[in-house]
Amino acid sequence: MRRVIGGAVAMLAMAGLLAAAPDHVPAQAKKIVYWTHWEQNPEFNKWYETKGKEFAKKSGYEVEVVTIPYQGYEAKYLAALVGKSGAPDFFNGIVHQWCGQYDFCDRMPADLEKTWSENLPKYMLPVGQFKGATYGIPIEHGNFQQMYINVELFKKAGLNPDKPPKTLDEWLAAMKKLSVHDAKGEPTQVGFALRHKGHPVGIADKFLPFAHAFGARMLSPGLDRAAGFANSPEMVAALQFYGDLVTKDKVASLAFGNPEDTFGQKRAGVIFRESWYFGWLKKNAPDVTFKVYALPCAKACPGAGNLFPWSNLVYKNSPNRQAVWDFLRFISNAKDDLEQHQLQGILPVWTVNLETPYVKGRPDYASTREMLAQPVPPNYYHPKSNELATAFGEAVVGVLYGKGQPKPSLDEAAARMDRILKD
Amino acid sequence: MDRQRRAGFLFVLPAVAYFTCVYFVPLVESLIGSFYRTLPGGASRFMGFGLYERVFTDPVFWNSVRNTIKLLALSVPSTVALALAVALGLDRLTLRWRSLWAAMYFVPFAVSLVAAALIWQWLYDPVHGVLNHALVLVGLPPQKWLQSLNQVLPSLAAVNVWVRLGFDTMIFLAALQAIPGEYYEAAAIDGASASQQLWRVTLPLLNPQVVMVCILELIFNFKIFDQIYATTQGGPAGASQTIIPLLYDTAFKYFRLGEASVMAVFVFVVLLAVTLLQWRIFRRPVDY
Repeated sequence: MRRVIGGAVAMLAMAGLLAAAPDHVPAQAKKIVYWTHWEQNPEFNKWYETKGKEFAKKSGYEVEVVTIPYQGYEAKYLAALVGKSGAPDFFNGIVHQWCGQYDFCDRMPADLEKTWSENLPKYMLPVGQFKGATYGIPIEHGNFQQMYINVELFKKAGLNPDKPPKTLDEWLAAMKKLSVHDAKGEPTQVGFALRHKGHPVGIADKFLPFAHAFGARMLSPGLDRAAGFANSPEMVAALQFYGDLVTKDKVASLAFGNPEDTFGQKRAGVIFRESWYFGWLKKNAPDVTFKVYALPCAKACPGAGNLFPWSNLVYKNSPNRQAVWDFLRFISNAKDDLEQHQLQGILPVWTVNLETPYVKGRPDYASTREMLAQPVPPNYYHPKSNELATAFGEAVVGVLYGKGQPKPSLDEAAARMDRILKD
Repeated sequence: MDRQRRAGFLFVLPAVAYFTCVYFVPLVESLIGSFYRTLPGGASRFMGFGLYERVFTDPVFWNSVRNTIKLLALSVPSTVALALAVALGLDRLTLRWRSLWAAMYFVPFAVSLVAAALIWQWLYDPVHGVLNHALVLVGLPPQKWLQSLNQVLPSLAAVNVWVRLGFDTMIFLAALQAIPGEYYEAAAIDGASASQQLWRVTLPLLNPQVVMVCILELIFNFKIFDQIYATTQGGPAGASQTIIPLLYDTAFKYFRLGEASVMAVFVFVVLLAVTLLQWRIFRRPVDY
């Protein structure tokens, strides 16, 4: 019996040795890890892994994509980037926060910076930069809100879906026609799918096109003062208009959930959203017939502006940062840019791709061009933009819910924002 | 140190080490952090009580404190009273039925808080929610629930009650079953009615459990985070912003770790004070 056991042990040991021999070890590629919170764009994210396999053939590095849920992503990013271990090698983030407020980003190599500066539309150049230094590669071209209209609801309301409202007055008149109320006067279908839930930062973001249309701006041009800007007469008028959509005109409702679903469920005739929403609608609400137009103007046109300029950033403490830059260099070309964005129905970033059949065939082609032709609206790329927009967004949501009047709410917000700026 | 003492020391060592690493060290770090303006990976500046002054003069902070207290006032008494009532009811059932009902009451406690919050968010939905459909069916007007300034805290309190009821019930039920039957027999012989037995025998003997459950509920509700973060994110218009979600935003969204530490210290001090006060006032040893 002992012999049998001894023999078995010896055979197992032999098998173990053979398995451990170099010939039997599968070639294991090294990995560079990418974190993104763009959970709404899974195909776009997965493309990095697909491309990473190709990259691995010449470099030995594959790409692993980790999708972090958007809600609370800052905490996870921060914990990892501070802790260093378990941190991503590169990530989707906002330059002025992760490279400005913090110092987590590796500066872009000069050759890559040249490639991107030569191939981005001019208005996008600041998206990856902080204080003149370039860190990030912008990943979404149409990252500004446009007007999506539901063609069926427009027709039902006696409106021409091919003649969208061009001014805010025309727009409000159309919203009134699109709204349907019950016997108690509560809307069962609204003209405008308005964002009123969630974090005040997002609420501020959705209000800003209205503010810009009224000729207002949230901060001074030097981004160092809020008083006189966040509470200017123009801003007060804009917020009065915005609040009236709910309280007086009843063309938007606080009873409806998030605006994307409301529009997708055909409960709203219009929504303002970015270019990614085109792909989202096709996937999640394929029965909605829609068209995309430039946002309506008032004193000014809202233009192509955003509060969240997303770009790919390289973690400066990553031991693989050279490999990451090589990978980013590997995919920095017009063909890959088009392929990746087309997969998810997002607008590509490279200027040359803006005239491709894919982009020309999109329903937002003309509107994108129209909005890009408008003057560039103010940007608020400040390291404390989250906190500033929260203070501002709280005033906006307070007015929507009838908690305060526009002027005192904005005065209070402006004072708070100035404290944040001085702090 | 003799052998017995050494063995005792070794037995408690893992627990002490765990407590030190997981609770005590972070507590001290928070306390130190509350005096510094800190940037992760960067420099830190000593601020003295500057950050305390900043937090304690911020109306947003006091709004969150008010909301926390309102939520406590709505959740804690109702959870404790309901749990006590349910436990008294279950105590009268036969073992088989008691086990079945107890398990049903306990299930929500086993559900993840985020999942529970999301389920309730769907129930509360003003347009598609089951609750409004039920209200309309019985001829009542639909409500805005989580999307109303006035209804959001009571709605969240109802979720808390639903989640915590089973756990509190189990504690009361176990305590009820430990009360010797002789006490009730003696009370009955003395002519005590059912309600007199409840007030003079049952409740005094349950006092330690009532105090414990009150303290646990106080801590749970004071630290509420998941339900709010998953449903309202403090909205609408700050109406459900409580302390811990504000602390979280301050630390991780606005990257103000010093101010967040001040809030953490505030939560610790308040909870400690209220717990000690509750313990001192309500805990009355009963011996029959």
